[in-house]
Amino acid sequence: MMISKLDNASRGQMYALLSRLYRAEVDGELLDALKALALPQAEGALAEGYALLKNYLDSCGENALEELAVDYANLFLAAGSADGAAAIPCESVYTSPKRIFMQDAWEDVSRRYAGKGLGRDGAVNDLHEDHLALELEFMTWLVEHGSPEEQADFLSTHLLDWVPAFAADIEKYARWDFYKAVGRITAAFLALEGEFLSTLVSGGARQSRSFSVRADRMAPIFTRLKEKYRIFAPKRFPGRGPKGGDLIRYGRIDAITDVVYNEKAHFSAKEVFYPVSQTMLYFNGDHCTEKELEDDKGILLFVRPCDINAIRRLDQIFLHNGQPDLYYARMREKVKLILLECREGFENCFCVSMGSNVAWDYAAAVRIDDICALTEICDEELLPYFQDEVPIEFAPEFVEENRRAARPPRIDSRERLGQVCQLDYWNQFDDGCIACGGCNTVCPTCSCFDTVDIIYNETSRDGERRRVWSSCMLRDFTQTAGGGMARKTQGANMRFKVLHKMYDYKARFGVEHMCVGCGRCIDRCPKGIDYLDAVNGLTDALAGGKGDG
Amino acid sequence: MENIMLPEPHKILSVLKETKAEYTFRVEYHGETRHGQFFQLSIPKVGEAPISVSGSGDGYVEFTIRKVGRLTQGVFGLQSGDTLFMRGPYGKPFPVEQFKGKDLVVICGGTGMAPVKTMLNHFCDHPEEINSLHLIAGFKDMDCVLFTGELEKFRAQEKFHTVYALDNSSAPGFEAGMVTAHIPKVPFGEFADYNVAIVGPPVMMRFAALECLKNGAAEDKIWVSFERKMSCALGKCGHCKINETYVCLEGPVFNYSFAKGLFD
Repeated sequence: MMISKLDNASRGQMYALLSRLYRAEVDGELLDALKALALPQAEGALAEGYALLKNYLDSCGENALEELAVDYANLFLAAGSADGAAAIPCESVYTSPKRIFMQDAWEDVSRRYAGKGLGRDGAVNDLHEDHLALELEFMTWLVEHGSPEEQADFLSTHLLDWVPAFAADIEKYARWDFYKAVGRITAAFLALEGEFLSTLVSGGARQSRSFSVRADRMAPIFTRLKEKYRIFAPKRFPGRGPKGGDLIRYGRIDAITDVVYNEKAHFSAKEVFYPVSQTMLYFNGDHCTEKELEDDKGILLFVRPCDINAIRRLDQIFLHNGQPDLYYARMREKVKLILLECREGFENCFCVSMGSNVAWDYAAAVRIDDICALTEICDEELLPYFQDEVPIEFAPEFVEENRRAARPPRIDSRERLGQVCQLDYWNQFDDGCIACGGCNTVCPTCSCFDTVDIIYNETSRDGERRRVWSSCMLRDFTQTAGGGMARKTQGANMRFKVLHKMYDYKARFGVEHMCVGCGRCIDRCPKGIDYLDAVNGLTDALAGGKGDG
Repeated sequence: MENIMLPEPHKILSVLKETKAEYTFRVEYHGETRHGQFFQLSIPKVGEAPISVSGSGDGYVEFTIRKVGRLTQGVFGLQSGDTLFMRGPYGKPFPVEQFKGKDLVVICGGTGMAPVKTMLNHFCDHPEEINSLHLIAGFKDMDCVLFTGELEKFRAQEKFHTVYALDNSSAPGFEAGMVTAHIPKVPFGEFADYNVAIVGPPVMMRFAALECLKNGAAEDKIWVSFERKMSCALGKCGHCKINETYVCLEGPVFNYSFAKGLFD
């Protein structure tokens, strides 16, 4: 569906469609899809663009694909044109004084992509970073993952700075109406987006209100919230931590003062909605019945930005990789995320380099100190609890620099992946790792599980099935019923984990790596294996050709 | 929302002892299955495991399970009349439509015959749908030979060229040597168009594929089926993942040109 109202799904689809149109020639599949599209109501220039497009699609003949391929090559690749009668879809060409590739604009967009952990994927892509297709694709990503401010900024700094001139060139040089229409639609759509986003940003369409709440005034608010929600936050468990210290782990809290806001939690927030062990169903003789939820209470979950980004990755696996998982979905939908402001980061954090230091998708945000809590309330259902408090200006700030940074390996082909998998580099972990799986347990993005059937007594068949977190670092993770084992060494398991977090996930789902850079696995490892060193060491080994022999 | 993890009870119709270690369970089932697919079977007191459909017919499916390790032990207490919990079928099947009208080579080792057996039976019953079928089936020794009745049925089918082999010995009707030793007998050069299906332990599949290539087969004509640990078979539990590929969702049957690039 094309843009009929400015909801995020259709905005994202529009950017994605336009990106595709500039990325490569139209093929049969795309042409059929375009013909089948119901063009929505529009006004002004956008309506004119749609009308022109519809007219071309309705009347184009059998040669359409050939016509369009020729026009694409002439216009966008400047094929057969020595006189500049082309519309080169790269920002640098339009904004640099000498009209050449890879200038300031290219540098800036490259930096912005990298800042989000985005980069070239595979060998699919030989376009410059400031190619229109990629800038539009980045907008698709921002619509889903970025703030309105970021979208508005990228749109005005980049796309709106050159696309109008570029579209005018299409108008001038296109031979057939198809690309003229595409150019008009692009320009008109981006102009509308500019207006939409500037209202959104300036007019506070992000409907949030902020309050300052004194610690003593928070107590009655919590009492009221607890009628409807269970409240979970990182909490102190004295003496239960590593080496006799305190354990900071998620638990139910009664007061805002229970929140451990100035230390990194040893465990992530995932256990609240994806428990370590969870009963799925009961066997009663010849029947089996689903375990139902105990009540319909909601969950308020205090999480740092990295955790929010990690939860999106868990959502990807449980809700979008194949059919959705009911047990996960029904807990996840109860959760309202309360952003726990994180301005400094902690030891071993490298969230900035993973682009997960910032999060926008939260119901409320808080800055806690000993005296009061500054709160930004975005979710209307939470507003009534806070509206009698002191209004203030507050929006959370985010950590901008960590002491450590990840440099994920560049793997741009299957051959390269094969080389990476067969490096001797991995052997160093054969003896070092004791296969405890602690790194997976504390990881906010690890989602793997086993199922275990518990039978209540030896003679009956009554029992239950549980699912229990699993760990790819355990020796028998890949062991089949028949006894076969796909990965037999800890080096191989380490390779699997590192690539899963820093290559596979992104290769499968696009956009971002799985790792969010919380560094908990480094904090946790009893053998002092440093995951970040393992990642950066791999990158160095690939760059220097080390580790091969 | 549908609970895709919830198994359903099915009645066991019969249990057939194939070898000392392998049993075939015939289970009441009225849905469709395709060649090479599998179910998640609930093994009492243990949990779920992916098991290939080794046979199917009107109102039933069959699973052939090897008694190794603690995992499959539990299933061997089951008898006809008992209930077995299962869900499925799952997985991409062999592209049988693509095999029709051409020559087909099937190479399998041990219980690797299970995932290809419904396909073999189909072509044995409908020989007009293929040009020829070369079957190389390897077993460790005579005690490990599975599906004896069907082996004879396949041997008798005129369109089938069968080689049954034992790893280290020979016996009447069984030649000696690994399956790879018999691949050179397949007349790849005479085929106008063909496909090869290889199923067995990972090492056997790798060497059988290499041997086929050596004998003139093309990579994209070869199909393999992976056996992996799976706790969900639905893209969630993570056990079957290789690189960015989930065997449960994209497999277990893969074209070799893709599968050779998967690194465990």
